[in-house]
Amino acid sequence: MKAEFANPFITAAVSTFQKEVGVKLSRKDLTLKKAPVPSQSVSIVIGVTGAVRGQVVYSMDENVALSVAKAMLPGKLPAELKKLMTSAVSELANIITGQASITLAGENNIIEITPPAVFIGPGLSIDFLTMKTVCVSFISGIGSMEINIAMVDA
Amino acid sequence: MASGKKGLIVDDATVMRIRLKDILTPQYTIVAEAENGVQALEMYEKFKPDFVTMDISMAEMNGMDALGEILRRFPDAKIVMVSAMGQKLQVYEALGKGAKDFIIKPFDPARVKKAVDRLFE
Repeated sequence: MKAEFANPFITAAVSTFQKEVGVKLSRKDLTLKKAPVPSQSVSIVIGVTGAVRGQVVYSMDENVALSVAKAMLPGKLPAELKKLMTSAVSELANIITGQASITLAGENNIIEITPPAVFIGPGLSIDFLTMKTVCVSFISGIGSMEINIAMVDA
Repeated sequence: MASGKKGLIVDDATVMRIRLKDILTPQYTIVAEAENGVQALEMYEKFKPDFVTMDISMAEMNGMDALGEILRRFPDAKIVMVSAMGQKLQVYEALGKGAKDFIIKPFDPARVKKAVDRLFE
């Protein structure tokens, strides 16, 4: 895992939050982990193959996920937002991963990403890849989020 | 004002289908939605829409394959790609296969509207 894989995700997360959620996201910490195991209750897992391969796991609290849904779908009632929450955070993660992939792929490579899978904890146990991971945490006016990036050159 | 043109929205995320529909109606009538490439083909055959918005990253036939398959069967199909996947080679591949436009998410609603309007100018 090269630390430089994290930069395109940081840039993409900040710009996507600004555009889709309308909030300023600020990077907090960058830590190294043995696997991309999420620490918050709503997690979105996206697999990456092609020029780079691995897994990206986004994680946030349910309140943050609901705020994201509310911002992406103005005018929806709270009951509807709850139902659409997983779709909203999936799409947000999909867009951030897509944006980061544009930078990582460059001119001559292709990176494929899998459709997002959403898991809602707590107490959730999934076997994640054992792969060196860079975990980037962010703070914003609606709460915190983290991105776990476990990736190697193919 | 309603144009009388019919659209098919293809995206695996409900949120995106809702937003695209909001942007395009009432000027266009969204006759069907699909959440993967297989459904997109079925809906295209059933409704023969005037245009399609097509996502790429989807389970059960992705949008790039669905683009090729719809155009193989219906060479006059007007398909606009609307995807988070916007790597250079992917944009070239889609346009090379016959997509009319390629919009990268996150999108500006006006850009989406304009791309569809242009199909009928």
